[in-house]
Amino acid sequence: MSQLYEIKLRIEEKIKTAGLDANEIKGKIGLRAGKLLAFITADTPDDPATVVKLKQAAKDVLNIAL
Amino acid sequence: MQWNSIRTKVLAALLACLMLGVGGILALMHYSFESNSQALAAESVTGAQKLFTILETREISKMTAVSDTLITNPQVRDAFAAKDRSRLLDLTAPLYPQLKSEGITNWMFHTPEPDMVVFLRLHNSTKFGDPLNRFFDQEVVRTHAMVTGNELAKAGFAVRIIRPFYDAQGGVTGYVEMGEELGQFIHTMKSQTGNDYGLLLNKKFMDRQFWADSSKVWKRRDNWDDNPSFVVADKTSASDSIFRFQQDLATVPEQGEVLERFQDGNSVFVRGIFPVRDAAGNTVGAMFVVRDISSFYLAMRRTQRVLVLLTIAALALGTIAVLTLLTRLIFRRLDHIVMVATRVVGGDYQSEIHVSSDDEVGQFEQLFEQFRRVFVDVLKHVPELQGK
Repeated sequence: MSQLYEIKLRIEEKIKTAGLDANEIKGKIGLRAGKLLAFITADTPDDPATVVKLKQAAKDVLNIAL
Repeated sequence: MQWNSIRTKVLAALLACLMLGVGGILALMHYSFESNSQALAAESVTGAQKLFTILETREISKMTAVSDTLITNPQVRDAFAAKDRSRLLDLTAPLYPQLKSEGITNWMFHTPEPDMVVFLRLHNSTKFGDPLNRFFDQEVVRTHAMVTGNELAKAGFAVRIIRPFYDAQGGVTGYVEMGEELGQFIHTMKSQTGNDYGLLLNKKFMDRQFWADSSKVWKRRDNWDDNPSFVVADKTSASDSIFRFQQDLATVPEQGEVLERFQDGNSVFVRGIFPVRDAAGNTVGAMFVVRDISSFYLAMRRTQRVLVLLTIAALALGTIAVLTLLTRLIFRRLDHIVMVATRVVGGDYQSEIHVSSDDEVGQFEQLFEQFRRVFVDVLKHVPELQGK
């Protein structure tokens, strides 16, 4: 399982536990990271730059450190 | 509040408009007040000058009429022709109090040239025999016609007439002179206009000792040293400060001059001055005009306050209206576009942008909705999203 996919799962888990609007939050994170979360699967290869952007976007939107 | 938002920028622009508007009103009102107070001062000077001339003419006419009656009185004529001082005094003295009450304070008979001395002073009957040799005397001797005008004597300023007196055969037996103190004019002028006046006399044409002596006689404060070049002969206001004047009276232009506006306590005044000339054309004095424009000033300040409040209210309402319109027509619709775009990226491919109008934002909504549909269609063909 790639690091990107793991981050995606943690984001989805946080959205679920917080009862947030999944489409809105994923959209915001995706726009910030420059990556559609829907494109991230277990097989998606890790790209260090994308990982950093995604972590930063999750921190900005959900205030979580990944 | 986001400092770089359009809403903040529009609000800042409207606040700038408000400040400019209020500043503009204040400047406009100040300019209006300045020009109006200048016009009021100029009008006061011109009006006072005209009124002074009218009073001068009226008093000259009065003295001319009285002297006409005297000249045609055979008893007075014969007594003067005979140079019978006591008889002349008996005949004229009963008239003097009445004339004095009408303002004619000076009344003299002069012997004819070449000696031309005072034969009888009704206002000071024990003093006679002195030559005066003034411009008036020289002119009436030269022309043998009535001479009128102002004359600054040693201790005062008077409007006078002097005219030849004839015997039964038409020969000149001497001259009769009458005069009124100009100082009393200003009280009449004040009662007619409500303005304050001051009569200033040029020291150059006056006698210091005589002024001091006459001040004692008339129980008047000796104000000789109050000003360097002139004395205030009479004034209608108790305040001396409103008659401040530093220039030489000779420099006052013929048509008068508006001086500066000034404030004394809660009152605001405009001041002006015009020259007063003697019969020889010398600027021997000047009339000071002071007009209280406090009511005008207060009315201006009231109007200024109302206009400022109205401007603030109008611009506040304008600001609310503009921001409401911007919110409805632009900001809310842009927020909707951003929200739909965000949700589509987040996986909600069903959200649509509703085109609410065909205005500029509406055209953008339409374009964005078309873009969204193309984007969603592309996503449907991405292998990772198949079946989602």
